[in-house]
Amino acid sequence: MFANRRLGILLLAPATLFVLVGFIIPVLILLAGAFRTGDAWSFANYTAFFSQPLNREVFLRTFRLGLIVTAVSAVLGYGVAMAVVEAGPKSKGRLVALLVLPLMISPVARTYAWLVILGRTGFVNVALTSIGLTDAPLRILFTETAVFIGLIQLFFPLMVLPLISSLENMPRDVVPAARVLGASWFAVFFKVILPLTREGLVVGGTLVFVGSLTAYVTPAILGGSKVLMLETLLYQRVSVANDFASAAVIAVILIVMSILTNILLKRLASVRRRR
Amino acid sequence: MTARNILALGAMSLLVLGTGSALAQQKTLTISVYGIAQDAYKAALYDPFEAQCGCKVVVESGTASERLAKLEVNASAPAVDVIAFSDANALEAANKGLLAPIDPAKVPNLADIYDFAKDPLGNKMGVGYTFYGTSIVYRSDLVKIESWLDLFKPELAGQVALPNITGTQGPITLFMLQKAIGKDDPKFADAIDLVAEHKNDVVTFYNSGSQLTQLLQQEEVIASVTGRFSWPSLMKLDMPIAWAAPKEGQTGGMNVLALVKGAKDPELAHQFINYWLSAEVQQKLAEGLVDSPVNTKVTLPEDKAEGLTYGAESAKAINFLPPAQQLENRDAWLSGWNSKVAN
Repeated sequence: MFANRRLGILLLAPATLFVLVGFIIPVLILLAGAFRTGDAWSFANYTAFFSQPLNREVFLRTFRLGLIVTAVSAVLGYGVAMAVVEAGPKSKGRLVALLVLPLMISPVARTYAWLVILGRTGFVNVALTSIGLTDAPLRILFTETAVFIGLIQLFFPLMVLPLISSLENMPRDVVPAARVLGASWFAVFFKVILPLTREGLVVGGTLVFVGSLTAYVTPAILGGSKVLMLETLLYQRVSVANDFASAAVIAVILIVMSILTNILLKRLASVRRRR
Repeated sequence: MTARNILALGAMSLLVLGTGSALAQQKTLTISVYGIAQDAYKAALYDPFEAQCGCKVVVESGTASERLAKLEVNASAPAVDVIAFSDANALEAANKGLLAPIDPAKVPNLADIYDFAKDPLGNKMGVGYTFYGTSIVYRSDLVKIESWLDLFKPELAGQVALPNITGTQGPITLFMLQKAIGKDDPKFADAIDLVAEHKNDVVTFYNSGSQLTQLLQQEEVIASVTGRFSWPSLMKLDMPIAWAAPKEGQTGGMNVLALVKGAKDPELAHQFINYWLSAEVQQKLAEGLVDSPVNTKVTLPEDKAEGLTYGAESAKAINFLPPAQQLENRDAWLSGWNSKVAN
């Protein structure tokens, strides 16, 4: 047993060393940079970061878009997940495959497709002007709307898949039972389905929210320099301004926001369970 | 360890030492350049130079800010001998004490290059190897451009893109706008106000030449500002795109070669700089539409000249933004831009 354990540790060592030297230590060094001003430890980098109106706006925009994308994909996600669960076994497989398909296409390719669809001469604008809804093409690209559309499309499957699995785990009879006892469809959803599937919602919500916070390609291509998000700002700080201090600050903010979201959503789910 | 193992180890270390000394016999020159068109540079410049000097050219490439950061980190033991930069980046490096002056006596080809490229940074800290004009490109079938202020014409509202302040083209666009407004201000306050006033009319502030090509191709915009280096790819779009001759003139930029302080072999570095400036190399790079030549002895056919900034006339027409002004005011431009335009 002891020999085996030693062997086990030995076998683990190369990978651990690799992760430690190649990932954890550099990340710690980088993150530590966010708390250094000159030779002292301080929060000065943070106060400097948030004293700039542009940075505050980018922070709020990232947070706001993350919340909206999560909320909208939750609402749409329940609809789709219920439809998938209700479908027969054969079409269920096909529907899930269709849902997963976009995940297998590179985000860059997917985002470039939106560039063509949402452009001035793109599908959406041609359709809108030809049925006479607008006179001039709408400006969709390089706005928050474009980033929102791109993010929804990017992360929607990550919301639907956990919802499908928790809907499938929900006892089948609870919905008819609630209906028989006189609950409206509205009450059935909020009092029966939602509490029973909240774990799926927590998993999906975390994935979508954190994904939206940290997405780079979509805001870079669809938002451009007029709709900066934390990730695109981070890239700009590093590659253009050579300003690693504020880049490290942004990295810390993103990591903290991701961890907090996860803790918060988990707590939300477990509090309800105890009740 | 058995005797056989020791023997094997000994043999291996001998082998390693042997190859080490063989490598040391060959001189190496390490250069740091922009990552673009490396195949063309290899054919026109690196390979012929290696054959000529009997040395090895090691190429490091990357964006300007990456390479500047590297140069700073390695200041005490430089890994690079010759570095290619924009004039402003080179001046920044020079001010930080990272560059050494070039000895004109060791660069005889200096005699053949345009005067403005001979010592653009002062103190012989760099020599221009290429330059380009920057102007407005526009759809000649849809709009007419005669001044830099035409970028904000009502018919262009919602159909114009400008270069972002974070690139090289952004500041020189502000430079020309400020000139067009007619007030003298190195901080470009009026130009930034003008862009801010029209920021909702600007589709996006683009970051790279390839992004601009795409914007024009998809008819997202019908006018923008760019360097001549984008012209070949814009012509390939097969659209009625024209290069404006605004009444305030064109602007542009210059790239320079600089000698890194503490370079291992300054002699070889000078040789390389001299070779890069030679009519032969400049001719080949121009024919490949890689770099507009600074060497006055280069002659180009019409179709090649079209894709470049070529000739004494075009060179004279360019308003260069002095690198010292760029360095001094860069932070002011950026903060003005961030609070008024990006917000």
